[in-house]
Amino acid sequence: MSTSKSFRKRLAAGVAALAALGLATACSSTSGSGANAGPIAKEDIVLVASVINTTNPYFASNIEGAQALGKKLDLPVEIVDSEGSSQKEISKIQAILAQGKKVVLFVNTVASSDVPPIINACKQAGAYCTIWWNKPDDYEPWDQGDNFVAFQKHGGVDSGRCTAQTLAESIGKGGIIALAGVQDSTTSQTRVAGLEDELKNYPDVDLLEVRPANWDPQLAFQETQNMIAKYGDQIKGIWAADDGMIIGAKEAVDKAGLTGIKFSSDGLYPPVIDIMKQPDNPIVGETFHRGYMASAIGLYTAYLAATGEIDPSELPHEKRNSLFKISCVTPENLDEYTKYDDDIDGWIDSLIENGPWDTEPVPLVGGGPEVLP
Amino acid sequence: MTNPNATLTAAPRDSHPTRTPKSQKRVLRQGGEGLALLLLVVVFSVINPDSFPTVVNLQTVLDQASTPLIIGVGATLVILLGCIDLSVEGLMSACGLAFVLLSANSRTTADLGLWAIAVGMLLGAFLGLANGLVHTLLKIPSFIVTLGMGFVGFGIATLLFGDEQLPFLAEGGITDWPTEKFLGLTHSFWLAAVVVAVGVVVSRFTRLGRFTYAIGDNEQIARDNGVAVARYKVAVFTIGGACSGLAGVLTTMQLGSAPARVGIGMLFLTIAAVVIGGTSLGGGRGGILRTTVGVLMLTVINNGLIHSGVSPNVQTAVSGGVLVAAIVMASWPHRSRLRIMK
Repeated sequence: MSTSKSFRKRLAAGVAALAALGLATACSSTSGSGANAGPIAKEDIVLVASVINTTNPYFASNIEGAQALGKKLDLPVEIVDSEGSSQKEISKIQAILAQGKKVVLFVNTVASSDVPPIINACKQAGAYCTIWWNKPDDYEPWDQGDNFVAFQKHGGVDSGRCTAQTLAESIGKGGIIALAGVQDSTTSQTRVAGLEDELKNYPDVDLLEVRPANWDPQLAFQETQNMIAKYGDQIKGIWAADDGMIIGAKEAVDKAGLTGIKFSSDGLYPPVIDIMKQPDNPIVGETFHRGYMASAIGLYTAYLAATGEIDPSELPHEKRNSLFKISCVTPENLDEYTKYDDDIDGWIDSLIENGPWDTEPVPLVGGGPEVLP
Repeated sequence: MTNPNATLTAAPRDSHPTRTPKSQKRVLRQGGEGLALLLLVVVFSVINPDSFPTVVNLQTVLDQASTPLIIGVGATLVILLGCIDLSVEGLMSACGLAFVLLSANSRTTADLGLWAIAVGMLLGAFLGLANGLVHTLLKIPSFIVTLGMGFVGFGIATLLFGDEQLPFLAEGGITDWPTEKFLGLTHSFWLAAVVVAVGVVVSRFTRLGRFTYAIGDNEQIARDNGVAVARYKVAVFTIGGACSGLAGVLTTMQLGSAPARVGIGMLFLTIAAVVIGGTSLGGGRGGILRTTVGVLMLTVINNGLIHSGVSPNVQTAVSGGVLVAAIVMASWPHRSRLRIMK
């Protein structure tokens, strides 16, 4: 009896000692592998691109850009598929960082709130990270140190203005319905704000209703059906916050047998390019920006910081919270933009030649945060 | 609505030969859901006299109800068994993509014509069969089997989608079929109506249907009475899978293209519709026609709130509130029954 008691005591002491040892190692590992360990040798770097899912055309293009840059820099590339979930995104990124590689990371975040945990993980692992599209408003790279190299995006307000203008001018007067993305998405909110503000210049054009269609072609199809039932032939134009939704909306209009309705939207996805090349094209306005450009710019900025070619702490704020140019595309100037898609490697060459902030057609145009009109 | 259970129980609960006040009360009891639907239609028509009660809007509502109705038939049968099928969305995505890629489309050269529809449904039926077999042979709860199978479906869809562009169905031909009209209503609605009719006939007048109720009511008693429980469960899960497959095919056909996750949002909608219709999640009680009312109620709420100009910011909350009110109204006549609610 007493033997077993003392055994238990010894066991407990052993467990406690092990736990204390584990805790000490854990603490030292967090504080030890510090962030500012100096530039990383080029050969050790892994490029990692984290995307929301792999089937959306924009995210697929993100992956394409990361792979093209990896090929050019002769570095391995890993892709993180968040499968639409913040939890999966964060845990997969943490798993890659824990492998001990020197990571240069591009993250197209699932939600703004994912940024702090991702950046904290990067700081601990000494990785260099660029975030695209979404971050909390008051969480700035310059407050977080060099491992959060930059936050980058294309202006949503400019996108909304551009597509609103082409649509309004094309219909002259009449009603428009707008399909927004997921409601709490800053990208969608800024694009809608740009649309609404620009339409103030067109008093004959009436914004009948803004409906969220969650970036989803199927939901856009249904919402458009509902709008057609509600407004009928008052609808002269349909605006959408991205091309996935305009594809659904156009299908609903075609199936309802309506003619003469004009469309404008953001993203210039390949199916939309095909429609715009047809003689009876109803898509009058688009914007040009590319997933492969975003991921390549993001990864290249972080890569320059990792190799010590730029020092994030010395960069002006606009290069750490950056807005890149978004161009207006109409059927007339379509070819000026589609040429980039035919030669992605050529564009990557010009990125490396000109640096992340001066590469056409997406040079830096200003600093964030984006101001709503 | 009669109780199909009546054929199996010694003393049918609701079989009064003459029309007494009690039986009138019964009509009210069982028609609560229908009355709630009617009330919704009346309220929305009063609020939006110009846009809601129109022919175009009726066509829109019935067209939008078609996909959840088809899934609802399978989901109701599975729930009547006392099981649940959570694989609906994954199966829809896999079958929708398989259908598009095997039809005339923008990506592959395969064109099986109408056989592509059969392949879509067969893939759904096969995954449904797998649901049933794993559930019955390995005795694993249906919710976990079907949850996993749903991800298998999403996985198949992601693999089929690959790294390429969104596949579009070729213009004309089959893509126009769902929205073409017959007797003023779209083909997709008529397809759903046929599926519902077949489902009702199967559940009421066939051995499969009656045994489904019996198993759901009390599996042990059914087993003790010689019902081949496992075989009927597998059959019902297969039917459920085929319904999801057909729904995936129909949705992609309507859309003219196949996004990788075409069924998203459908699972909650249909299970809510089944429950709102009054089918018990415990199994054994309810029916397909009740689910039809549930689906129509949800579609009308969504459509009606849009017509009423409710801001999308509050629409989710309002539609939840209207839903609860509708359920309360539907279940009001049942409140005095001796029931244990968990």
